[in-house]
Amino acid sequence: MRTTKVAAITLAAVLALAACGGDDGGDNASLDAPGKDTKATLRVWLNGPDTPEEMVTLAKSEFAKQYPDVTVKVERQEWDGIVDRLTNVLPTKDSPDIVEMGNTQAQAFEAAGALVDLSDAKKDLGGDDLVDSLVEAGTHDGQFYGVPYYGGARIVVYRKDLFDKSGLKVPTTMEEFVAAGKKLKADNKDVPNFSGIYFPGRNWQATLSFIWDAGGDIAVSKDGKWVGELASDKSVKGLETVQDIMENANAAPADTDDADDYLDFCNGEVGMLMGPGWKMGQITGKDGCPGKYDKVLGAFPLPGSDGGVAPSFLGGSNLGISAKSKNPGLALAFLELLTGDTYQTKFAENGLIPVRKSLLGEVKGDEAAQAQAEAAKVTRFVPSSESWAKVESGTVLHDMGAAISNGADVKKEATRADSAIVGILNGS
Amino acid sequence: MTAVLSEEGAGASPAPSGGRRSGSDRPARLPRPGRAGLLPYALLVPALVALGVGLGYPLVRLGVMSTQEFGLPQQFGAPAPFVGGENFRSIFGDPYFWDVLRRSLVFCAVSVVLTLVLGTLLALLLARLGTVMRTGLSVALLLAWATPALTATIVWQWIFDARYGVVNWLLTRLGGDFQGHSWLSQPLSFFFVGTLVVVWMGVPFVAFTLYAGMTQIPGEVMEAAAIDGAGGWARFRDVTWPALKPIFVVLAALSTLWDLRVFTQIYVLQQAGGITRETNTLGVYAYRTSAGNDFGRGAAVALVMVGITLLATLFHLRQMFSQEEV
Repeated sequence: MRTTKVAAITLAAVLALAACGGDDGGDNASLDAPGKDTKATLRVWLNGPDTPEEMVTLAKSEFAKQYPDVTVKVERQEWDGIVDRLTNVLPTKDSPDIVEMGNTQAQAFEAAGALVDLSDAKKDLGGDDLVDSLVEAGTHDGQFYGVPYYGGARIVVYRKDLFDKSGLKVPTTMEEFVAAGKKLKADNKDVPNFSGIYFPGRNWQATLSFIWDAGGDIAVSKDGKWVGELASDKSVKGLETVQDIMENANAAPADTDDADDYLDFCNGEVGMLMGPGWKMGQITGKDGCPGKYDKVLGAFPLPGSDGGVAPSFLGGSNLGISAKSKNPGLALAFLELLTGDTYQTKFAENGLIPVRKSLLGEVKGDEAAQAQAEAAKVTRFVPSSESWAKVESGTVLHDMGAAISNGADVKKEATRADSAIVGILNGS
Repeated sequence: MTAVLSEEGAGASPAPSGGRRSGSDRPARLPRPGRAGLLPYALLVPALVALGVGLGYPLVRLGVMSTQEFGLPQQFGAPAPFVGGENFRSIFGDPYFWDVLRRSLVFCAVSVVLTLVLGTLLALLLARLGTVMRTGLSVALLLAWATPALTATIVWQWIFDARYGVVNWLLTRLGGDFQGHSWLSQPLSFFFVGTLVVVWMGVPFVAFTLYAGMTQIPGEVMEAAAIDGAGGWARFRDVTWPALKPIFVVLAALSTLWDLRVFTQIYVLQQAGGITRETNTLGVYAYRTSAGNDFGRGAAVALVMVGITLLATLFHLRQMFSQEEV
């Protein structure tokens, strides 16, 4: 009894302290670059495997030349659930100085006042040389908060040996692409779970390409109101192509996403898959199956119905300085390094798109990098709204894809998704 | 606590007889019951403070938030506008909320019944087994009980994995066509897996508690019943069940509470597959609403959930007390 009570009182005290602890106001330190002898620790959150460790090392050593007494602490976060974690950590004094956000998520935090306004520093961060669509994701109400970090366009990765066996050439139209997927599946039907085109239901980013290719869209802004477009005839046509692929060329589960597709690829169960530019590296890397398919891997941009390149979803991420950061000046100096030529060139080598237009032409490297540079010419973006993050966390497009893959009526699912998305974007 | 209560009882008992005494000593006696009455409350203060801070504050905060428009800007310090019952109106006016509520209640009912039935059967088995087998079964039950919900769910999710799961492999071996079959993609089989996990984790507690209760039933009673010709079922119905009824009521109450606010199992399974919209239960729905940066509405959903669990608790408490009176 006594110990329980003591424990309860201690717990109460701890809770009370914890409740008091959260509300310290951030100090509005200036964005001016601090002196060379500054002693501080700079905490940086980077997400997922997208930034390879060697680049982190590079950034640290470069920064140490400018500020020998500053310790840069890079803390790795998972992409999964990052919005929740940022929502919880950014308002506290334990907030990291620099955070990475997906380009579809950044607007929400910019609108909420979670980040430092970097409009005055935009010129030093690259200015007009920054890729426009990524700057758009980092801008809210005309102010610049989210510094483009890297971009990624989606490509198709395929097995050349299976193409040869089936007598297929790299498809140049959407029609050929779908036909190739079906043929691959038919020709490899003795391989269990084989997908000609690997297309799990929740891979909504890939689905968008088909909607845009058919001339449709997610939602458009008319007179300050969002209007749903998924159920329009054009979008539905694109979604029907998606359903055709899912049902006739694909064996991926209806209700998973593309996170583990490289494992199925390594199992020999995939002819083609659609993913970001670094997918090929993931397959040949240590997490995948090094050496197994290295020689027969190829990549091409998704072909469009008109014989050109189909529009693809522009992935990527933005970096922001937390409004609670004690060293915004130092953080800005670090951001300048990350958007600089040396660092950004490295991204190109790692299968991502650099955020400087002047570097886009420099992209060399393997087939994936070239395919991505092609695909990057026609990129599109989700509706530019601070509420878009809610659409993602509400899994609206995930659910639509899974239902379509399960054989549901496309028009009905699209209508349902439309009303959900419009409801969120218009804030009802 | 007991000491305090009995002291108060002792202090209070002379009171009825006090009427016979002369009125003069009344004023002298008056403070006594007062002081004795205050002391227990004073002793309650630390516990109440702990409860108030640990439970009350979050609940009050939840209540306040449910009447506000509270989104991401508010999380970063913007003032939260008061919207009165708007959050509740929007929830109750949303047919989807009623879908979720119905789904949660059905899921809860099925899980509770299964948990209790299986728990009872296992308890009966425990009572019948020899020492070695009983120890083995107890250890197995304990392990299932000790496994954290997150771990257990992930293990079950892998067992039912569409491509690499052992269930599909086994069913295909046995001649079925379960190659790549996704158990989570249809709501019904999603909840089959969900119920399995929840029941699997809930059964050990029920089994142990009932087994403990059964050991308290005198052996002679059972023996006498057997001699009188009562079979296994009759002995359970006429001896074990009436004796253990209060325990059943408590277990049913607890299971209802647990299964109504189940979160981890459903959430993890949703991450693994399934169509989120068709598999949300109340707890997960409250979380998802909040995580969609709509903390006000999320708080309102959570409060509705608190209300329902409170109702369920009151119902069971009443049952329990009426049991004791009998």
